[in-house]
Amino acid sequence: MILAIILVVAAALALIFILSITVSRSLQVSNTSLAGAIQPLDLEAFRNLTDAAEDEYLRSRLRPADYRSVRRERLRAMAAYVQVAGRNATVLVRIGQSALTASDSTTVEAARQLVEQALLLRRNATFALLRIYLALAWPNSDSDARPILHRYEQLNGSAMLLGRLQNPAVPLRISASL
Amino acid sequence: MALYCLGMLQAHSLLWHYLWVAPSVLLLMLGFGLWRLRVHRQHPFFLAFVLASAVEQLTLYVLDITPSVEPETWWRFFWAGLILEGILKFALLAEVFAHAFRPYPAIATLGKRLIGMVGVVLIFASSMAAAFAPLDSLFGIVSGAHLLQQTIYIIECGILVSMFGFSLYFRIGMPSADRGIALGLSLSACVHLATWALVANTSLPDDSRVVLDFINMAIFHFCVLMWIYYLLVPRRASEMTAVIALPENNLALWNRELERLLQ
Repeated sequence: MILAIILVVAAALALIFILSITVSRSLQVSNTSLAGAIQPLDLEAFRNLTDAAEDEYLRSRLRPADYRSVRRERLRAMAAYVQVAGRNATVLVRIGQSALTASDSTTVEAARQLVEQALLLRRNATFALLRIYLALAWPNSDSDARPILHRYEQLNGSAMLLGRLQNPAVPLRISASL
Repeated sequence: MALYCLGMLQAHSLLWHYLWVAPSVLLLMLGFGLWRLRVHRQHPFFLAFVLASAVEQLTLYVLDITPSVEPETWWRFFWAGLILEGILKFALLAEVFAHAFRPYPAIATLGKRLIGMVGVVLIFASSMAAAFAPLDSLFGIVSGAHLLQQTIYIIECGILVSMFGFSLYFRIGMPSADRGIALGLSLSACVHLATWALVANTSLPDDSRVVLDFINMAIFHFCVLMWIYYLLVPRRASEMTAVIALPENNLALWNRELERLLQ
């Protein structure tokens, strides 16, 4: 009887989970304020946090206990940046997916690249976060988040290309300011 | 009126006949529609599943209403249909997964590995559930069929949950037809898992078992209608994904970041 109850509850939870995903997806189709969900990310600060030379400098200058404390603080900040990068990537996946239905083949190709890079970033951000959380327990271990930074920079490029194709008026301003 | 309704919830009532035959007839119509619209090229396993389910259910129905057929013969046919349907269901899940995630190489391999690992865990869990279930020594062929149903539905439910969870995590939208197929399979699998778990692990009276049969048949009927809607009814343009343009303020923000990168 206990087994039957466990299986009935599991089946009910599974159904609720699947139906809630389906319903929330259908509601999101008309959500055009999605692009506003992108959070700004200070790439310079992120780069400083992932800089191995800075870590080495801190390790050489601080006492081991102090270094571990500072390192943990830096790792927490790094985790916050990686989370934002991952979240932005999921928003860009959906923006890219919506542009896949465009009539212009150049826009479709740009959208496909954006989706691919955003998915890679999302996947890598997940693994990077796991490594960062592990490093929080062992601050002396390696937690290289530089690939995330690199991917995020590539993603910015793809998003800008797609944006340029969708809003042709904007690139003039961009190129003028460079 | 209430008595009439209760009378309908009996084996061999008009409703019982309808709920057993109608989904199979609708499945045959769906199969014909898929073939006519040439959708079967993208969904070969779905077509196989649709036709096999229809033929299986109609065969079982005819065997059930034929007085000369022995119960053991009926259960042997049930076993054969169950095994065939189980194999086709897992092939169908692989087909839906391929359609949903193959266009995204960045996560396709990760998804395949994840679903593979989940599958192994589910096979272990369902084997454990079957091992702890009470086995009727007198009617082993019946309780064995219930356990096999339960095992198939545990694995099917788990894989579907993983698939939906994976698509949610990466915000990947499934193609409309595959979403419909997966949704119908999920609804059917979850309800059937709950009912077969009750049948396989408890000693319910016959009346209650008949009610559970009615629930299963009604849900399957609903799923067939859902598949017809998702696969045969043409989608309106408004139902397609709306294009979301990147706003200027975000471009300006990214542009600022790019400028900082170039400095």
